[in-house]
Amino acid sequence: MADLTTKYLGLSLSNPIIIGSSGLCASVDNILDLEKAGAGAVILKSLFEEQIMMEVDASLREAYRNDMIYSAKSESLDYIDLHIRERTLSAYIELIKEAKKRLMIPLIASINCVSSAEWTNYANRLEEAGADALELNIAILPTDENTGADKIEKVYFDIIEKILSKVKIPVAVKMSPCFTNLAQMVKRLSATGINGIVMFNRFYTPDFDINNFSEKSSNTFSAPSESGNVRRWIGIMSSRVDCDLAASTGVHSSEDMIKQLLAGARAVQVVSAIYKNGKEHIQEMLGGLHRWMNEKGYNTIEQFRGKLSQDKNENPSAYERIQFMKYFSEIK
Amino acid sequence: METISDILKSERQQAWRDELRKSMKAKERTSIPRVKMPEQDPHVRNKNHSEVNLGLTDEMAIKEAQRCLDCVDPTCITGCPVGINIPKFIKRIEQGEFLESAKTLKETNALPAVCGRVCPQEVQCEANCFYVQKLKKDPVAIGFLERFAADYERNSGNISVPGVDNKNGIKVAVIGSGPAGLAVAGDMIKWGYDVTVFEALHEIGGVLKYGIPEFRLPNEIVDVEIDNLKQMGVKFETNFIVGTTATVDDLRKEGFEAFFVGSGAGLPKFMNIPGENYRRIFSSNEYLTRVNLMNAANPDYDTPVFSGKNVAVIGGGNTAMDSVRTSKRLGADRSMIIYRRSIEEMPARVEEVKHAQEEGVEFMNLNSPVEYFADEKGNVNKMLVQKMELGEPDSSGRRRPVPLEGSEYEVKVDTVVVAIGVSPNPLIPASMPELEVTDWGTIKVDKDTMQSSVEGIFAGGDIVRGGATVILAMGDGRKAAKGMHEYLKSKVGKK
Ligand SMILES: Cc1cc2nc3c(=O)[nH]c(=O)nc-3n(C[C@H](O)[C@H](O)[C@H](O)COP(=O)(O)OP(=O)(O)OC[C@H]3O[C@@H](n4cnc5c(N)ncnc54)[C@H](O)[C@@H]3O)c2cc1C
Ligand SMILES: Cc1cc2nc3c(=O)[nH]c(=O)nc-3n(C[C@H](O)[C@H](O)[C@H](O)COP(=O)(O)O)c2cc1C
Ligand code: SF4
Repeated sequence: MADLTTKYLGLSLSNPIIIGSSGLCASVDNILDLEKAGAGAVILKSLFEEQIMMEVDASLREAYRNDMIYSAKSESLDYIDLHIRERTLSAYIELIKEAKKRLMIPLIASINCVSSAEWTNYANRLEEAGADALELNIAILPTDENTGADKIEKVYFDIIEKILSKVKIPVAVKMSPCFTNLAQMVKRLSATGINGIVMFNRFYTPDFDINNFSEKSSNTFSAPSESGNVRRWIGIMSSRVDCDLAASTGVHSSEDMIKQLLAGARAVQVVSAIYKNGKEHIQEMLGGLHRWMNEKGYNTIEQFRGKLSQDKNENPSAYERIQFMKYFSEIK
Repeated sequence: METISDILKSERQQAWRDELRKSMKAKERTSIPRVKMPEQDPHVRNKNHSEVNLGLTDEMAIKEAQRCLDCVDPTCITGCPVGINIPKFIKRIEQGEFLESAKTLKETNALPAVCGRVCPQEVQCEANCFYVQKLKKDPVAIGFLERFAADYERNSGNISVPGVDNKNGIKVAVIGSGPAGLAVAGDMIKWGYDVTVFEALHEIGGVLKYGIPEFRLPNEIVDVEIDNLKQMGVKFETNFIVGTTATVDDLRKEGFEAFFVGSGAGLPKFMNIPGENYRRIFSSNEYLTRVNLMNAANPDYDTPVFSGKNVAVIGGGNTAMDSVRTSKRLGADRSMIIYRRSIEEMPARVEEVKHAQEEGVEFMNLNSPVEYFADEKGNVNKMLVQKMELGEPDSSGRRRPVPLEGSEYEVKVDTVVVAIGVSPNPLIPASMPELEVTDWGTIKVDKDTMQSSVEGIFAGGDIVRGGATVILAMGDGRKAAKGMHEYLKSKVGKK
């Protein structure tokens, strides 16, 4: 029987399926169910600064409306953002502690960062609570016309430097695919001392409702077709980086997973497919991987991992072809 | 039914008020500049613990009272949370009838000497004064005058101890001896109840004693009020923690028929940043309590001294101002306020900010601590501070402080006091699961009766409002006493 174990961020995983950061991993019961269903590891829902600010606003509004609560010159409301952040953080820490008590598989905490000044100071508390690793969900949408690329890139490095100085557990960075010099950025990130890079973050995209002239959310879940770009960059970078790579976005089937492993990923993160098909889907994907490995005669993942990465590919230039001239010209 | 506004109108039409109004032209009144409170010299007072403000003389008070126009529609009253008849008490001062003035105050305010000193008048009565609203001039010094009349009465030795109804034998318990609890006790004893106040600490008075320092509110003033209550028959049980020493249920078994929870908001909050557990980093609550109740300021006592030389106080409210000014008085070379917004946005009373500045406190606004460091003994010796800028407004309309990337710098400190707000004391709500609380941890009450979700249990003050003010706590106490009185009357009626 094939051995599905893999190592990611120095952690031993029973198989390469990680349930990615999402509402799937927001309660102890859910996480335990995912473990039972066969997940190799779980990443908790991210702690979001933005969400805290929304809660702060709601709480302030409520305090000003409630004439029993003193709001005019209140010292406590003056610092309510810190107090609410602390409450959120305590709840998160409690989640880690409780989950760790009952969980056998690795538990990775996740923080959403848009600057180096927010959560970085709290990282060691997540470590103390027992998280096995930390994933930094660095989400910067470059909408400020006055901020140059160098400045945005620097935020990544500032965050990483701060976090690495605070914690000893492995750290992974979940990055955006939007960089002009993606290869250089990945390479530089991998050299900072982090243990892994997750390629890529998938941003929420607003859409328009053309009948009501309003905004609506779109495409909450990914489509399998989205995995192509991830596969390309994992393939290009897997042999060049100094850390592990995990694939995220568009991994829906065992075939998608196998392709990412062939490109060089050590693990895949799956979210949309679980939302759509339920946690039973984990077994289906693992079954597919098993069958394929048996068919191809592989006993371990390491025997084929990276087999189709750019440096091992017989046609390395295929990875860099973006126009597909020949291909398109033949379509009539 | 006669409304409050009818009563105010008919009082205003009384002959003495009418005469007084006519005795001086409005123009003359408005041309008098606002009185300046005599105070100790900043460089003297920052080395002693005596009161900073010295009080108005009779002449000053009368002159200031003349400024009041005795408006037809006295908007100042709407700014006072307990609706003191402000023009009437002020006109009594103008008239020279200081004791009458004090009596007017006491109709609605059980602690005028306290409120005159500590109310944030600039956002309450004085903010609503005609001078501010219409003339764009300095308001009548309502707070100074309130203090004047109350002090006059106290110093005259003519404090009237209110009459007490015949004892009805019904036992009521007041939990906490802060302004809310004292106000309940005062009214309930007047109405003939058998009142016992249970206080966790060894001193009576709540924040008035352990929080607000002597240089702002001398203990003697609070003691006079407490003595009055004692004379009227209120019993005080100190070192008695309801929920630990005995529960509400235990007290019920002892025959207490109604309860008032005025346990305040004494649970300190911290920023939870790295190093905050080092020694010599205190909550403002602990710092002030040590100094005020445990004689830490007195070198003859052996409570640990912690008169640091470089003291940083985090926060911008009254608690922060009290802590930082206390540190100066304990001999600090450098007393710093580190606050994340600008000075105008501080929640502290304007007068306290001004006094602190005069006393040599350094204001480091738009700054916030990010980490503390300690020496080999674990005593804090350094802090990392980050500069802030003001970003988008939040839903209260105030601009949010946002950290400035890469702006961190170090400050040498040997004592840090964290004064960033408090939470309601959780002991009583935790010991009574049937008591409904809000998301803020405050006890839910009916607005009119102050009764909680549990019959016979009333609450008010900071435990209901979150950290609030003395006058609100006292007003709640009086409202709760009324609610409790009605409740007990109907309960007896049913028996
Ligand atoms: C340093 C400082 C400065 C302030 N400055 C001002 C100011 O300038 N102006 C202003 O208006 N307000 C000011 N405030 C706020 C004001 O003092 C409070 O809003 C007010 O005292 C609240 O009154 P309270 O009766 O609800 O509670 P408190 O005054 O807090 O009294 C509660 C009492 O209950 C006791 N207690 C708690 N739990 C129990 C229990 N389980 N059993 C028995 N006893 C218990 C506590 O020991 C305490 O004595 C200040 C507060 C502080 C801390
Ligand atoms: C409902 C939902 C919630 C998510 N929440 C988070 C989150 O808190 N933090 C995070 O880093 N990514 C979050 N994501 C993104 C996923 O972790 C993942 O990167 C993305 O969905 C692409 O993977 P997929 O194709 O397997 O869905 C969320 C995705 C979904 C659908
Ligand atoms: S009690 Fe406070 S608000 Fe009311 S009149 Fe006095 S100072 Fe003004």
